[in-house]
Amino acid sequence: MKADKTMPERLNEIFHPRSIAVVGASGTPNTFGYLFMDYLVKAGYRGQLYPVNPKRDRIMGLRAYPSLADIPGEVDYVISCVSAGHILNMLRQCPEKGVKCVHLFTARMSETGDRKGYELEQAIISEAQRLGITIIGPNCMGLYHPGEGISFAYDLPQRPGKVGGIFQSGGISINFVRYAGVRGLGFSKVISFGNASGVNESDLLEYLSGDKETAVIAVYIEGVRDGRRFFKTLREAAAVKPVIVLKGGRTTAGTRSSFSHTASIAGSLNSWEVLFRQCNAVQAADMDEFVDLAVAFNFLPEITGRRVGVIGGSGGKVVLSADDCEQAGLEVVPMPADVQEIITQNSPGLENWLGNPVDFSILGAEQMALAMKIMHKMSESSGFDFLIGNLTEESPFDDAVWAQLLTLETTEYLNVLKKGLKPIMATISNPGLTWSNTTENRWKTLLEKREFLSSNGIATFSSVKSAATALSKLVNYYRNRQRLLQGGMK
Amino acid sequence: MSILEQLKNKGRKLLAEVEAKQVLADAGVPVNRTCLAHSREEAVELAGELGFPVALKIVSPDVLHKTDAGGVALNLAGAGEVGRAYDEIMAATLKKCPQARIDGISVQKMIAAGTEVIIGMTRDPQFGPMLMFGLGGIFVEVLKDVSFRIVPLTLTDARDMLTEIKGYPLLMGFRGAPPADTGALAEVLVRLSDFIERHPEIEELDINPLFAGKEGVIAADARMVLNWDADV
Repeated sequence: MKADKTMPERLNEIFHPRSIAVVGASGTPNTFGYLFMDYLVKAGYRGQLYPVNPKRDRIMGLRAYPSLADIPGEVDYVISCVSAGHILNMLRQCPEKGVKCVHLFTARMSETGDRKGYELEQAIISEAQRLGITIIGPNCMGLYHPGEGISFAYDLPQRPGKVGGIFQSGGISINFVRYAGVRGLGFSKVISFGNASGVNESDLLEYLSGDKETAVIAVYIEGVRDGRRFFKTLREAAAVKPVIVLKGGRTTAGTRSSFSHTASIAGSLNSWEVLFRQCNAVQAADMDEFVDLAVAFNFLPEITGRRVGVIGGSGGKVVLSADDCEQAGLEVVPMPADVQEIITQNSPGLENWLGNPVDFSILGAEQMALAMKIMHKMSESSGFDFLIGNLTEESPFDDAVWAQLLTLETTEYLNVLKKGLKPIMATISNPGLTWSNTTENRWKTLLEKREFLSSNGIATFSSVKSAATALSKLVNYYRNRQRLLQGGMK
Repeated sequence: MSILEQLKNKGRKLLAEVEAKQVLADAGVPVNRTCLAHSREEAVELAGELGFPVALKIVSPDVLHKTDAGGVALNLAGAGEVGRAYDEIMAATLKKCPQARIDGISVQKMIAAGTEVIIGMTRDPQFGPMLMFGLGGIFVEVLKDVSFRIVPLTLTDARDMLTEIKGYPLLMGFRGAPPADTGALAEVLVRLSDFIERHPEIEELDINPLFAGKEGVIAADARMVLNWDADV
């Protein structure tokens, strides 16, 4: 065992393999032995790729080898798609090839709850330890590292970014990357680590918190190997960069008779909530919020004030947007005097009627230029901490005029962003669109606008409510972090 | 030899008031002087020494709710009252809990004033030792208005535990009541956290009540569970 290397050093090697062998590679489409090869090819992996299969000479145009030992060069990283019974034999061929890490997509081990599966997993882990090989898994999707052209699914973003991810579930890891990718996020390093018998959540969190390419960490977790270590690691990581956590699986409260009041009260306690609060981790309530929070932390700066200005919408939608913001813990402040002045100058008397949120129906399509002027003035006013542009798929106008208005609004959001005076985000919703709208291009227009905004660095949300919820948590995170730093870590 | 070492030698697991307070004093938590009386006469003599008014409480590992068992008498102003209270507590406890092992009856001087709070500790199967804070009485028992933090606590964690409970305004001096010494409360939480980190044998702990006065705090009652098989 290479005792001279620390876990972060090993993980760094693992995320930058010069060569990958897929053991159990297959030429049959839609088998995982085929898919893991194809994911790498499609993602543009630049290192050496070796299919291993004793029954085939060539797979996907590449020369296939009967076993690991038959590969001529060194192999840094192995993806195992063979069944559990073959793993020990394969592991023993690894040291000769210089293998540093084996990713076990292979499953049906301890997660089945079956004693034999558990024992096999234990035997694999101790053999890997003896041979100095790091195991990812078993029962997981492994790595997505766009910077190296490594992927665990089709059609994930190829451009790298600054969000890192640690996922106990393979399915959630792919969903998350895809949903967040659609909203313009790029990723530094993502790992699905499954049963966590080899590298575990604390190893990975420690690594990503020290990783220069990662500015935001997303964690999906159901349970931890070592709760004490996770507590310490999470607290340290969240002091350095935002850690967004989605906890899967409801905690069943333990009821037990006890000698003390404290123990009986703690019986109904969700200790995960205590952990997240104490560590200043940002807890997501569900999958949608998980992605929203990643979007917020990815695009928005360190905001510590809660005063929001909302621009757009009409009538009741404006009223509800204010309610949603207040409900989320934001402050919907009255329109500041300096902005009111601009309204008076342009349209005397309107300042009494037009407030925050800014109702566009009062202005009408012809006065859109004034609306944009008001928004710019709001971005310059010290009365707001950030702005939400409330775009809408509902409009009284025909499609052409509606699309023009959206273009104008989104372009001006970008201009506000470029001025750099006030953080701005946008909401794009689509609940009113139907299948028939594809022919009218309304869907296309909305998706184009979302892509325009997100590719230009603007956070997009599906509603004011989701934007406000994410923003409130973002503000809480940064305020707490400042407070904790001032209070001093012990 | 520290008090915990002495208790280990005796194989003690459930600590009632007198022993629990001795351990707390070792942890740096202020406690009032509390003596154990084994007879009516001893109780009267101790009360005279400690100074009136005094409180008498049953000391038994088997009685969790002492008040419900008739095991508590407060504000006893003289020798006669102490003597009568001693007999009444013994009789009531034996009637309510005939199987209870009784160590004796504790005697202590009444604590002048302060806000009643509870500080406790338990071990979470995932995250290990956790401290709990809340206001005493109905606030903890009925409303469960408490906050938890995982050990080790920073001073900021301790302060957050105080502000997090809904009853926090009561600590700050509500309707003319004097404010509680929140600095001393936070300090006690951090001291306990440090002590618990050094003592994995402490399995559970209640300090209930702890009186938080205008200046300083003082533990009026406590209980503790020790586990000598715990990993050190």
